[in-house]
Parts: sequence; C-alpha cells; structure tokens
Amino acid sequence: MEFNAFFLNFLTGLQLGAIYALIALGLTLIFGTLGVVNFAHGALYMIAAYAAVLISRSMGFTYAIFIVPALLFLVGLLMERGLIRWFYDRPHTDQILVTFGLAIVIEEALKWIFGANNIPFALPSWGSGQVLFYGLGATVPEAIPGLRIPMPGIEGFTFFPFWRLLLIGVSAIVVLGLFVLLQFTRFGLVVRAGMRDPQMVSHLGINVTQKFAIVFGLAAAIAGVAGVFGGPVTQVSPTVGLAYLVPSFLVVVIGGMGSLLGALVAAVLLGMASAFTTGFAALAVDPFMKGFLTALQQIVVYLVAVVVLLVRPRGLFGKKGVFE
Amino acid sequence: MSDVAKPVYAGADERGGRAGMWNGRGRDLVVVAIIGMVTFTMPLWLVELGGYEALATKIVIWAIFALGFDLLLGFTGLLSFGHAAFFGTAAYITGLSLKHFSSDVIPAMAFAFVGTLLVALFIGFLTLRRTGIYFSILTLAFAEMIHALVLSSTLQRWTGGDNGLTGLHYPTLLGMNLRGIAVFYFCAVILVIMFLVAQFLKRSPFGLMLRSIKENPMRLEYTGINVWAYKMMAFLISAMYAGLAGSLMVIYEPYVATKFLHWSTSGEVVIATVIGGASTLIGPMIGAAFLMYFENVVQGMIGEQWRLILGLIFAAIVIFLPGGLIDIWRVVWRATGHKLLHGRRHNVPDMELTEPRHTDPRP
Amino acid sequence: MTATHTTEPAAGHARGGDDLLVIRGVSKRFGGLRALSNVNLTVEHGQIHAIIGPNGAGKSTLLNCMIGLIDADEGEVVFDGKPLKGLSPHNIMQRGIARVFQTPQVFPGMSLLDNVAIAALAKMNGQFRIDPFVYLSPTHPAVEEASEILRRLGLLKMAKYDAAHLSRGDKRRLELGICMACKPRLMLLDEPTAGMARHDTNRTIDLLREISATGITMIVIEHDMHVVFSLADVITCLAQGTPIAFGKPEEVRGNPKVREAYLGSSH
Repeated sequence: MEFNAFFLNFLTGLQLGAIYALIALGLTLIFGTLGVVNFAHGALYMIAAYAAVLISRSMGFTYAIFIVPALLFLVGLLMERGLIRWFYDRPHTDQILVTFGLAIVIEEALKWIFGANNIPFALPSWGSGQVLFYGLGATVPEAIPGLRIPMPGIEGFTFFPFWRLLLIGVSAIVVLGLFVLLQFTRFGLVVRAGMRDPQMVSHLGINVTQKFAIVFGLAAAIAGVAGVFGGPVTQVSPTVGLAYLVPSFLVVVIGGMGSLLGALVAAVLLGMASAFTTGFAALAVDPFMKGFLTALQQIVVYLVAVVVLLVRPRGLFGKKGVFE
Repeated sequence: MSDVAKPVYAGADERGGRAGMWNGRGRDLVVVAIIGMVTFTMPLWLVELGGYEALATKIVIWAIFALGFDLLLGFTGLLSFGHAAFFGTAAYITGLSLKHFSSDVIPAMAFAFVGTLLVALFIGFLTLRRTGIYFSILTLAFAEMIHALVLSSTLQRWTGGDNGLTGLHYPTLLGMNLRGIAVFYFCAVILVIMFLVAQFLKRSPFGLMLRSIKENPMRLEYTGINVWAYKMMAFLISAMYAGLAGSLMVIYEPYVATKFLHWSTSGEVVIATVIGGASTLIGPMIGAAFLMYFENVVQGMIGEQWRLILGLIFAAIVIFLPGGLIDIWRVVWRATGHKLLHGRRHNVPDMELTEPRHTDPRP
Repeated sequence: MTATHTTEPAAGHARGGDDLLVIRGVSKRFGGLRALSNVNLTVEHGQIHAIIGPNGAGKSTLLNCMIGLIDADEGEVVFDGKPLKGLSPHNIMQRGIARVFQTPQVFPGMSLLDNVAIAALAKMNGQFRIDPFVYLSPTHPAVEEASEILRRLGLLKMAKYDAAHLSRGDKRRLELGICMACKPRLMLLDEPTAGMARHDTNRTIDLLREISATGITMIVIEHDMHVVFSLADVITCLAQGTPIAFGKPEEVRGNPKVREAYLGSSH
C-alpha cells in the first residue's frame, strides 16, 4: 500500500472510529455509572439524526448543531427519570429488555413517520467539498477549490471529504470536553467515583442517583452530537441505529466495560481495522485474495473482538472485579 | 425424618400455586397430553380465529424456537440476542442439503444439527466467559457477524446473498412428500417431543442447577458446582432447539430467507418468550402463537404499523407484567385478595407477599 | 492444640497428620497497601479456629486467599496435604471446603427445600452432571437430606416458601444449611452472626457447636467477642496483616498485644 492510500485509509479509520467513539462513550458512561446496558442508544442516535435533518431543513444546519444535543439531553433525562430508574432494582435482563423494547418502539415509530428508506441529509454549503492534501514540492493546479493542507510523505496530492474531517475534529472536541468535565469538576468527581466502584454507588443515596440521571442525559447529548455530524455520513434511515450500535457495543467490550479511555482506544482500533481491510480489499488483484478480503471486511470488527476476548477477557482496559 | 418432612410437599400444591419441583409426574403427563391435544387440533380451530392452516405450522415451529430460548432466558437467566445465528445457520444448512444433496429431510436435519452445534460451541465459548451483560451484547455481535459473513459477496455463490437461498427441492421424508398438512403434523410431533424433553430437563437436578444459576451463580459456584459447564450446556441445548426450528422452517417453506439470520429474528424470539412468560414452559409457546398470529393475522387488520404496536405491547409487558401473559392469573389471584408466597420468578421479592415471621434486627 | 503464629515459615509443621489447613508465608498487596504480610497459620482437624482483629486487619482477605478468590502474591495454602493454588472455586469446594458469606448468600427465588437440595446434589453428583431422567421427588435422597437439614435448622415448616421471604437471621441459617449439605470437612464463616439479635446469635452459636460436634473443622471470622469466646477452641488475632497473637481463648484474652491492637485502632 502506498503512502497516499495508507493516509486516506488512516483518515477513514479515524472517521469511523469517531462515530463509534461518540456512541460508545455514551454507552460506557451509562453502563459505568448506572450499570445499565442501553440497547436504545442506537435509537437515540437515530432520533438525533432525524431531528438534525428536520431542523436543518427548516431553520438551517447551524441551529441543528445547538438544538439537537440539547434536545437529546432532555430525551435522555426523560428516559432515565420516566423509565430506566424503575428498573434499577430489577434483574439485569429486565433492564436490557426494557431498553430493547424502547429501541424497537423508537425505530418503528421513525419508520412510520419517515418511511423505511434513507432520507437525504443535505450538507450545509460550507461543509461540502473536499480537502486537498499535498506533498512537499507538489504542484497543485490553482483551479482546484477548497482547503489545502500540506502533508509530508504524500506524492502529488490527494483528496478527503471535508465533512468527514470535520467529524473527526468534532469528535475530538467532544472527547476533550468530556475529559475536562470528568477530570476537573465536582460532578465529574462523583461520576468517576461511581465508575470506579459500582458497589459503592449502590450503597449511596437517592441524590447521587439523581446526579446519574444527568449522566444519562449527557450520554444522550453525545449521541446527539454524533447524529448531527455523523448523520450525513452514515445515512439517515431506521436501520442505521442498530448498524452502529453493534460495533459500539464491541467497542465498549473491547475497551473494557466502563472504561472511557478503553472505549476511545477501541473505537479507533475498530475504525482502523475496518478501514484498512476495505483498503486492502480494494487493492487486491488476485481473485481469491480479493474474495477473502471482501469477506473479511464484513467481519473484521468482530474478529478483533474475538481476539481481544481470547487474549484479555476483560477487555483492553478492564479491571478485575469490575462488573464481573 | 421424612415422616416429619412429607406434609410439606403435600401442602405445596394447595394454593393452586406451583411449587416447582415437587409436583408429581402424573401432573406433568396431563400437561403434555393437553399440549398435544391443543397442538394437533390447531389447524381445525385456528381457521375460526381468522388464521389459516399454514399459520399453524409456523406457530408450532416458533413454539419450538421459543421453548428452547426460554431454557436459556427463563431458567438459566441468560438473555441471548443472537439466537438467529442458530436458527439461520440451521436453515441455510438444511436449504443447502435440500438443494444439493438430497430432498430427504433426515440428512438435512442431521447436517443442520451438527452445524448448529459447532456454531453454538464457538459463540458459547466466546460469550460465556463473563457475566450476563457481556453475554447479551456479544451474542448479538457474533450473530451479526455470521449474518454479515453469509451475505457477503464472497459467499454469495453458495448462499444466494441478499436474495436468500432459492430453488430448493420439495422436501421428502423417507420417500413421502412433506407438503401442506403433512408438514404440520411432522412439526407438531417434534414440538410435543421437544416439550417433553424440556419438561424432563426442568424437573431433573440439571434443571434445578439451571434455575439456581439465575438466582445466585456465586453461591452455586461456592457450593461446588461448575457453573460455566452448566451455562454452556444450557446454551447448547437452547441452540439445538433454535436449530431444529430453523430446519423445520425451511422444510415448511423450501426457501431460506436472509431474515432468518437477521437480528430481528433474535429479537422476535425474545419478544415471543417475554410476552408469553419467561421461566415457564407454556408461556413461550403462547408467546410464539401470539407473535405469529400478530404478524400474520393482525397485520392484515392494522397494516404496516403492526411492528410498532407489537413493540409497545412488548414494552408494556416488560414494565407492568414481567411474568408475561401467563402471569395474568397471578395478578387476578392477588387482586381477589389471595396471598402468594411462591414468588417463582423475580429476584426482587414483592414485599406485600412476605409473611413477617421474624423482624430484621437491622434497620 | 498447637499452631504457629510466628513469622518464620512453619517448617516443622508441614503436613502434620492433624493439620487440615496450612497457610505458609502468605502475603498480599493491594497497590501500596499491605493487606497480608507473611501469614502462617495451621488449622487442626475438628477445631473451631477464630480469627479476630480490628477492622482492616486483613481477616477477610485471608479468608478469600484460602479459597482462591484472591490470589496471594506469595506463599501457599495447603488443604489436606494438597495446595489449592490455581483451582477454581468449585474445585476447592468439591475438595471439602464450604463457605458462609458475610452477607447471607442464598437462592432467593427458590424454596428453602430447593436451596438445600442444590447443595446436597452438588455433594452427590459432583461439579457437573446431566441427568434428565432423574426426577426430584420427595423420596430423592438429596431431597430427603435437604428436609432433614431444614428440620435440624428449625426451618422445615417454611420449606416450600421462597428464601427471599426469610429474615436476615433465617437466611444465615439457611446458608449454614446449604453448607451443611455440602458435607464439608472445613467450613469458613465470615461473621456468621453479623446483624443478628442476641437471641438469634445464641441460636446460631448453638447450631455451630452442633455442626462442629459432627467433626467439621471451622474457621470463623468474628467481631462479636461473645461469639468468639463461646465458640472458639483457638484464636488467632490479626493486626495490620500479621498474626500478633495466638492461643486458647483465655490466653488471647489476656494478651496485652491484642488489647493494644484493638484499643490503638478503634479507640
């Protein structure tokens, strides 16, 4: 693989990882603090994507950036207060079942309202176009519009969609923001304590539980950000929620349940694995190899999970005794 | 000593409640007989309810699927979201055998059985190493993996890709054609046998161990029981039921739909089992009938929104009636002022059911 | 009634005919905290061996090391002449150790009879068996044994009710019943009377004495000195992860180190 192709695959991997990370961070936040596996998290992502389409159609995309995460925060808060909290005392299977039921209801409701097909999510005018990466000493024709970034190692020049680059950037900002929130605020302190010792949380009073309702809202808001910026990339259809929920679950498991850093690392790992197998499959010439790689590309994220589970059953950053 | 002990068992059935393990074998046989009668006469009365004959076959097949699923969910407490992997694998293997090997169903079902077992061993080994939460997530993931693999362009030549597997021979059983009502009776016999097997398992020490895994796996491990081995066994048995159902589905209708491997099939068996009533044997079968009836008859009445309605019913049952439809008698029993002391299913006891004998000295 | 509490390895003691459990040089660290340092302990057949000590002395850690729940950093635990290292909990239990937990661990949604029958079956059938054609009728030996144990515990008239409905004290007794049905040679008890009223405590003491009289060796971790002194044949006092005193109850009671350990840490 040449450097140009490598570089593009690397960016694609990062971009995939960015979406996985945004969904998985929410999942792992909820799981780490509340001990609930949220099967409806993919549905939250879908709500965000559909809401973003509606808002950007009627008011403009800029509004969607602010309204959708706020809306999802409310949805998450409502979900926790209205439904999930009644399930803390019930067995884990019931918790999973109720979020699963919710996921079906949301998915089917969206299908009913918007139809089963993909609905177009138009990028704002400033967001379309390609970014041009050029190597040292390359001559770039003046006529090509858009952003230009020098990148040593590249031969000539190559393009990458601006929106996908933006997605990576936004994801990085959200992760950084989350890190600051958890590391430097009192709220973050409580949350981190809860994630470190779930047993302790169960002994704490109701006030702390209420604080964790905010965690649920926060996780939903992150899914909201993912929906706004990821929607144009992942498409907006009633099946996209589960399509991204499953890899995000794997991210959570590979990273180690309840570990935020683990989720981040695993998200990038899965994104890269997926992007590079696709890249190699496209390059393969030998028909057998091509067939093999094409099949591999479909299941590579699962295979990574298999390997990690065999080598480190608790995940990359999982600790013994936590959520055994 | 047993002189003192015996009255206890004698009293166990007095409330019309189920004391679980201590009912007589005779009572079990009566249940099997009733199930058999209801099953075999289904084509007669289902038509009266707006169904059609072939729907009875579907109900029977899904009853097998849900019954096996509940051995895992209801009895062992493991919630799998990947049973489509077994249902679908068996369906594809059965289809391939019918298409390329022989139109006889016996080799087809035998191949499917072995294939399902291998897939179940692979998935079980990966998913059962950790707790229930991991199990739910990972079964979903690995079932999706098999779905993606079977539909991939590489395997399309054999599996038919997105179109499913078509062009199968009509199945035969030892030279007899298996079509129409014959398929129904074939499936119905298998259902009654599988119900009997499930009942034997439930009443045996093995069944007691499965139930106790659900209740407190740590205590069980520290009682000297290899919890992992029991979980694995329950998983394999459950997968075989799913595989059997998958095979029968292709025998019923010689076509393998990609949907059989899709997660929505896993979801539907969860829905059927929970709606009917997990941790009973009859509940899941009622749930399967409900699901099939809903999918095929009610759909005709309310149109495309049937899935939404089904989702709402499912959510409502999880929230308000965690014991499923079969638990309604319990609600009625309690509403009529009776007391229930056998809280058979839930880890959290209903407080109004307790009989305060000693008060806890701790606040 | 001899055993060591020295910090040297108990060389002369190894595999003595009377020693059921020998702990040699066990150390365990949690991060920077030294939970156990070089603990040596020998438990003889038939004894009730109490382990006392102030909070954080490492009592529970030691108990968990004994059954492999926690892997010791150094040292070994030898039960009946064989080391326990690397065995899974169910294997250790099958060798003849039973454990009573600090919070009573029973099978809440199952009848008391089921609860005890499970353990009786575990003893009869071993760690794994499929037997679909065996029917758990009232005449099944495991069920008969379970009802006999419930009778001894005074729980028989509640045998068909769910364990979840029991009071904490009764749950504890049920758990003892589960352990009895395992027919262990060594029983480990982590604060068996915690949270019980005096009346229940005394009943539990009597019950433990009765169990001990059938030849079962016991290791008891206990805070309640009333329980310790009415039960124990031998007492080991732990402080900061090290045994500081060992002997018969009256010897330990008068030991100034023990008084200091308790007064020094908890006023």
